[in-house]
Amino acid sequence: MTSEERLIAYVDGELGAQDRAAFEAEMAADPELAAQVAAHRRLAQSVAGAYAPILEEPVPPRLAPLAGAANDRGRRPGLAQWAAMAACLALGVLAGRTLWPQQGPLVTRGGALLARGDLDKALTKRLAADGGVVRVGLTFKALDGRYCRTFESAADRLAGLACRRDGGWAVQVASAWSPEPAAGYRTAASATPPAVLAAVDATIAGEALDAAAERAARDRGWTN
Amino acid sequence: MVELLPRLRRLGRVLARAPADADDLVQLTVERALARRAQWRAGTRLDSWMFRIMKNAWIDESRARARRGDVFAPEEEGERAGADGAAAMEARLTAREVESAMARLPPDQRIAVALVLVEGLSYQEAAEVLEIPPGTLTSRLVRGRAALMAQIGEAGR
Repeated sequence: MTSEERLIAYVDGELGAQDRAAFEAEMAADPELAAQVAAHRRLAQSVAGAYAPILEEPVPPRLAPLAGAANDRGRRPGLAQWAAMAACLALGVLAGRTLWPQQGPLVTRGGALLARGDLDKALTKRLAADGGVVRVGLTFKALDGRYCRTFESAADRLAGLACRRDGGWAVQVASAWSPEPAAGYRTAASATPPAVLAAVDATIAGEALDAAAERAARDRGWTN
Repeated sequence: MVELLPRLRRLGRVLARAPADADDLVQLTVERALARRAQWRAGTRLDSWMFRIMKNAWIDESRARARRGDVFAPEEEGERAGADGAAAMEARLTAREVESAMARLPPDQRIAVALVLVEGLSYQEAAEVLEIPPGTLTSRLVRGRAALMAQIGEAGR
């Protein structure tokens, strides 16, 4: 290790305890070395500081082609990875969104992505037959017994799957969605995004609830 | 992990200075990551994995642009005039100095410095992202920092 390498390794916290102590002893005896360390620390701070504000910028919508979150461990190979990755993207988008005064339909809490506001209300109250700006699609019981519902929000341009959790709705997957088919993109109007369908497939136990069962479950407040 | 997209945008801005180019790079990175999601191993760092994809996307894109005779646009020189002495302006100028000094670094050094100083990766993680031996990484870090020091360190801040 050259002396320059050792110096930056010290500044970057890359030296082991013993080497660090030795370096600090040298530094104490050598004001020139201490000044170099200080200069490198300032440089590191300016470089980090110069780019820090970019983290605060809202993420442009075009960078969120899909945003999803899944807290359930995937039951199929590949899905867990996919879900975890999508979750990270979704949370990144959210981190950008939270800077805006009126937040979006999702909020992170305790590591979960929860529905809020109109989305939460629609998931709790609305039946598939009701329609509206936030529409609920399928309602079904998950393998772990929780109720889950798919949703499409024209206002938020978001479709996804949410499952009941602690009196709220934990969003398992959310994906960019448009009420009209984007030109040349998809032919079926208002098609449920594949990511959402895949999540339903991975989560559902048996069949989706019919209208009567859906109403009954809602009237029981989504308890079993 | 919670802020991966913002971090990808930040790294993108170090690599391709113009914000639109940077976001194109992020988009390409996300698309490639999705296409290759099966290759990501659970339990490994997703950020490092995506940084690596971004690094490769950037190299590919730079080569493609070089073939077309097109280059990543340098960021336009903004309004530097006026408001001298204002603290905010001062901070912005410092950030600009850093950005232009970074832009003058050879790409290999720039990305090494970005991963360690901006993204806070350990040497080992950064070496893995760049797919280079640790010794190569440290020498790039040393040279990159010396160049930055020469350009902005002398300013006495």
